[in-house]
Amino acid sequence: MELPKEKLLEMYKTMVAIRGFEESLAAAVTAGVLPGFVHLGVGQEAVHVGVCSALRPSDWISSTHRDHGIILARGADIKRMRAEIFGKVTGYCKGKGGSMHLAALDKHATGCNGILGPSQTINLGIALALKKKKQADIAVVMFGDGAAHRGEFHEALNLAACWKLPALAICVNNHYAISVCFDDACAVDDIAARAAGYGMPGLVVDGNDVMAVHEAVSETAKSIRAGKGPALIELKTARWRGHFEGDPQPYRTPEQLESDKKKDPIVRFSTQLLEQGVATEAELKVLQAQAGKELQEAIEFTEKSAYPPLEEIYTDLIYEGRREVR
Amino acid sequence: MKPVGIIANPASGKDIRRLVAYGSVFDNHEKVNIVRRVILGLNSMGVPEAICMPDFYGIGIRAIEGLDVAMKISFLEMEMEGHQDDSTVAARLLHEMRVGCIITLGGDGTNRAVAKTCGDTPLLPISTGTNNVFPFMVEGTLAGIAAGVAARNPSEEGRYVKQAPRLEVRRNGDLIDLALVDVVVSKSGFIASRAMWDVSSLKEIFLCKADPENIGFSAIGGLIFGVPLAQAQGAYLSIGEGGKSVRAPIAPGLICSVPVLTYRHFSSEEEIPISHMPALIALDGERELIVPPGDALSVSLNPKGPRVVDIPLALRWAAEQGLFIEQP
Repeated sequence: MELPKEKLLEMYKTMVAIRGFEESLAAAVTAGVLPGFVHLGVGQEAVHVGVCSALRPSDWISSTHRDHGIILARGADIKRMRAEIFGKVTGYCKGKGGSMHLAALDKHATGCNGILGPSQTINLGIALALKKKKQADIAVVMFGDGAAHRGEFHEALNLAACWKLPALAICVNNHYAISVCFDDACAVDDIAARAAGYGMPGLVVDGNDVMAVHEAVSETAKSIRAGKGPALIELKTARWRGHFEGDPQPYRTPEQLESDKKKDPIVRFSTQLLEQGVATEAELKVLQAQAGKELQEAIEFTEKSAYPPLEEIYTDLIYEGRREVR
Repeated sequence: MKPVGIIANPASGKDIRRLVAYGSVFDNHEKVNIVRRVILGLNSMGVPEAICMPDFYGIGIRAIEGLDVAMKISFLEMEMEGHQDDSTVAARLLHEMRVGCIITLGGDGTNRAVAKTCGDTPLLPISTGTNNVFPFMVEGTLAGIAAGVAARNPSEEGRYVKQAPRLEVRRNGDLIDLALVDVVVSKSGFIASRAMWDVSSLKEIFLCKADPENIGFSAIGGLIFGVPLAQAQGAYLSIGEGGKSVRAPIAPGLICSVPVLTYRHFSSEEEIPISHMPALIALDGERELIVPPGDALSVSLNPKGPRVVDIPLALRWAAEQGLFIEQP
């Protein structure tokens, strides 16, 4: 697996940008300027960037409410992302989607989904459309270990396999379904083991290693594009923050959290880049500074943006008319 | 009679070769079943205790659920990391406890991790991996009985315990790692999903096991030489156009053409420098070492690698001794 230096550095910068973006949201919640539920993916940057860096721009991806990072990694405009989360009219969904329903259709990101589970059957529909249109693209859905226990998971895998759809299901196993520990809720140790029940390949991948994620998704996407049918990948990772901002996390110990933080995917990737001579410390610092500057510009953009006008409160709520899948 | 150690790797048999090749998933339920049958085999031979490596899935704990055996089953007291280092730590502890033998469930990679610290304690490796050159495809019950033979008759082990060779990787003369089957040098890259299957990046291959009936990179040597390597004999292959092209099974269902520029045997007296730098080095099929420019690495063959219980020999010897004949 060989990737050009430019791509590797872009992956690093995106990971840093996602971390900064999410941490700035945490600070905003703490400061009381960002109301509502916010679910952050701090610690899961290797998942976001590893998956998206392996996909084509024309592929489609659906995700959960912890996947701001997925949409950023698809190349979404960080200004419009932040504006959306703050309910501003300049946001991707004119401020009406917010954190939990943020979509960037221009990036083929159908969006975060507040209901965990149904995104898997939504993705099934996208995959069916791609197959009917004979397009070489694939439809990817991200979901957590909790959603893997819902009926939609089994229904979607079964139907995707029956119809041999170009669908890739990616379970982001961060070990906690809200407050329920994976070990207490799952009879097997790998969600990926369930793939065998639907006659498809299932892979377990270290979700804290961006290159391992990239390689697994690249090879899986290649297999799906070759018409070999759907697949299931399980990315084992950890979330560093609570289920939502403000979650006191009585279900895990500070020691567990510290242990998870030792597997920091950004530190791991930067070490790999330095060890292999791909980048110097100075080059990485430049990228960190660029990401920080872009975040600051997004913060200022959001602050200057207006809220949607009251007269538009009922527009954009119900889709009217039929539109072709692009 | 000595106790027997059991190291069952919960991560074996699940890597990316299920996708890029046609490897079967070896799920942990099946490993539980195998350990259960191993324990029943050990129990039938009167082994007093089996000492298991703990793991996050609980292969050993699940295996003994509802199992009615006279022997004691215990677990090593060790910190679990969920990494191959767990197997290395467990092997060291079991060796220090002087168990009669260590039964492993895994592939070549698992046994490599165990061989780092098992010392002269005999191994009985059961295949639950992907490419399985070192371990045996064997029914767990028979493996348990054979391990019981070894634990019960340590003074006779010369009859059924054989010494396997190992390859040693050195940096500036210092041993930094080892392999039980192959050391593969490829173009620089990332460790990523660890498993090695892409032959287009190959540069050099060192083997201490090569046989036409093998799978993996060991097969390339086996198929080009046509006969298995002798004890204390290694093989070196330089990969590149201009020589022979070998069609070899690299992974389950994955058969590739590999251009071999030169090939030769080497003895345990030689220390061969790795000539392609920077490099990514795979040990027993798993990408392990990133070698930066300027590093000087070499590979040599040590005929005194891990000691391994030969299951057919152990069972035949025990039968000849009448160990399975019950007294009226």
